[in-house]
Amino acid sequence: MLMPDMPVLRRLAVMASVAAAGLFNIGSALADETKPATLYGDMSSVTQDMLDRAGQNGNDFLLTNGNYSQQRFYPNAQINRGNVARLRPAWIFQTDLMESMETSPIIVNGIMYVTTSFDHVYALDARTGEELWHYQQKLGPITTYCCGPNNRGVAVYGDAVYLATLDSKLVALDAKTGKVKWSSDIADPEAGYSETMAPTAVDGKILVGTNGGEYGIRGFVKAFDAKDGHVIWTFYTIPEKNLGVWAEKDATGRDLHRDIATEKANAPQATELYKRLGGGVWQNPSVDLATRRVYFSVGNPSPDLDGAARPGDNLYTDSLVSVDLDTGKYICHFQYVPHDVWDLDAVSPTVLVDAMDNDGKVVPAVMEGGKTGHVYVNRRSDCGLIRFSEAMVPQENMWTLPTAAGARMLPGANGGVEWSPMATDPSLGLVYAINLHQPMTYTVTSAPYPNGKLWLGGAFAVIPTEAQWGNITAVDYNTGKIRWQVKTPEPMIGGILATAGGLVFTGEGNGRFAAYDSANGSRLWQFQAGAGVNAPPSSYNVDGKQYIAVAAGGNVQLNYKRGNAIIAFTLPE
Amino acid sequence: MRRKCSILSGTLLCLAAVAASAQPQTVEQKAEVCAACHGAKGIPVDKTYPVIWGQHQGYLYLELRDFKSGARKNDLMTAVVADLSRDDMMALAAYFAKKTWPDLRQKSAPDAEAAVANRVNVSIGCTGCHLGQYQGDATVPRLAGQQHDYLLKSMRDFRSRARANNPGMTDLMKATAEADLAPEADFLAGH
Repeated sequence: MLMPDMPVLRRLAVMASVAAAGLFNIGSALADETKPATLYGDMSSVTQDMLDRAGQNGNDFLLTNGNYSQQRFYPNAQINRGNVARLRPAWIFQTDLMESMETSPIIVNGIMYVTTSFDHVYALDARTGEELWHYQQKLGPITTYCCGPNNRGVAVYGDAVYLATLDSKLVALDAKTGKVKWSSDIADPEAGYSETMAPTAVDGKILVGTNGGEYGIRGFVKAFDAKDGHVIWTFYTIPEKNLGVWAEKDATGRDLHRDIATEKANAPQATELYKRLGGGVWQNPSVDLATRRVYFSVGNPSPDLDGAARPGDNLYTDSLVSVDLDTGKYICHFQYVPHDVWDLDAVSPTVLVDAMDNDGKVVPAVMEGGKTGHVYVNRRSDCGLIRFSEAMVPQENMWTLPTAAGARMLPGANGGVEWSPMATDPSLGLVYAINLHQPMTYTVTSAPYPNGKLWLGGAFAVIPTEAQWGNITAVDYNTGKIRWQVKTPEPMIGGILATAGGLVFTGEGNGRFAAYDSANGSRLWQFQAGAGVNAPPSSYNVDGKQYIAVAAGGNVQLNYKRGNAIIAFTLPE
Repeated sequence: MRRKCSILSGTLLCLAAVAASAQPQTVEQKAEVCAACHGAKGIPVDKTYPVIWGQHQGYLYLELRDFKSGARKNDLMTAVVADLSRDDMMALAAYFAKKTWPDLRQKSAPDAEAAVANRVNVSIGCTGCHLGQYQGDATVPRLAGQQHDYLLKSMRDFRSRARANNPGMTDLMKATAEADLAPEADFLAGH
């Protein structure tokens, strides 16, 4: 729906009316308006075959984290160590909204799909940045989100673009027009559910989890039918039996200082605990197509800091979980931090690689970047831990329990690695993570769930007199050793991309977007974006030119300067 | 003393208005009760009463809901919401959310107080929920330009649990020094 001569406001009004009309047209809009693409078609309709091969596709960027393994390794070397110093902006697109941006640009055959805070979606010409259509979700009056009105992007499948919204709906848009095909309720926003993640499309299913770990929800991952939005399966991240094995130590062997005797005494009364124990899943799962298993990280228990009302290990919070792609049935789990009272949970999306186990044998592995500051490497077969990396940030006084007066412990509650997706370069055996160093105090208080309002069970407070900073860390996932580290002046949040050009790209809250040598961390190029670059970069190729694309919109959580730009970079002619 | 009288007379007026509100029908009629305290033109009759014109619908609804359930305690408001259904409360919230936020002509805080407010924000992350420029959204209230005395009272009430319907705010206010609350209120009122 190109309307190049129309004034912007009028164009938006038309778009809005078209979108609104679509809302009432759900049933009749299902018929395909374009023929399904084939290998010989226009390639703008996304087939399962295209998604399966996304990791080898140096033209498109089809999945939030590059491929189903979520390696964020882009197989195009046109922009490389030798020429990246000449990288220049090709175009800048400005959205209608000056607020936090966390979108991963998705590129299909020269069309880019990006999102903004408050659930706007834009389709852009990836060569020029020209707007093709704009969709704005009309949000309901109740939205409950802890950490900003963020959205991390769309999923693409067939001729549709899928968006999960702050008011907890899954919306399918026509990829060519932005018209609503259908909309399904995911969960009740008044009960604390919301969506900020990009969905994952696979084999006719749209997978989506939920936010709400700060709101007394019962976390889940759901699979919706891509055609009509009906629920195929639901996996609850909080089983009714969630007490676990009364673990005294975390995954790294450190004492959690739990009062297990008191917890056991309280357990018989906690029969309804599963209904509000949290366990959000707000990052994309990885998919192992060979075994048809899905792997995802499950967030913190509710309330974050107050463990008194939630005896037990609080399964499967702070865990790696695997379920069957076709049925949603539980396969295995591994809990990094049992009975977490620090919100040092598992947030960053899981990454599948083949890694060496402790017997020197290469096995299918799954990695997760923890807020603890460790990269955990687990077996895919049974979720068991192979190793954890050296700490990427300072750890002090772990695990000091939160107190009424506030206890200092490092890392602070944002990590380590926050939600920021990691990248890998399998040829180097390296995984790249961006980290925060934010000294905090942890305070605990007890209060009942206030229905749809923040429920932390205390407070995390940054210690204003202590220095904060960040880093980019490359970890050898076959040994757990840190290979290189670059310190940044501010805590880092957003994401990172590795490419076959021997580069990693990542941005900072101060507006710097930079390329580093993926083998040794040397900074080879930088650009000042004018607002925080706190979103994961993507890459694509159109008409023989490779581009790097990233959002510069700042960040609510760390209060980095807001902006509204999508910037695409390429090499000069 | 004059201020005390003003509060007292405001309360009496409000009570009279509440007592007179027998079975109103439309949302406009229901809203007339609110005007007695919150102002016919959106400027509340007392400094400790909040601006509700232009406040976010989700937030207004949750507060009405909490007054009705008793989670938030206020004798006047308890009486006002006693007979309201969920739909009534949602409609009233929508009605006031559509109004224009009034200009209370509160002065900008001096730099030293703004610096305190910025330090508080770094520590507890106010703008993580209340967003840039403290405008709020949906279920999180706008703070910028809110009544100064109401802001200060709210922060203190969260701190003491006199207002207990948002334990998260209680925790954050307890993590903030008492001495920082007055500069914070000055900053937000004039923002």
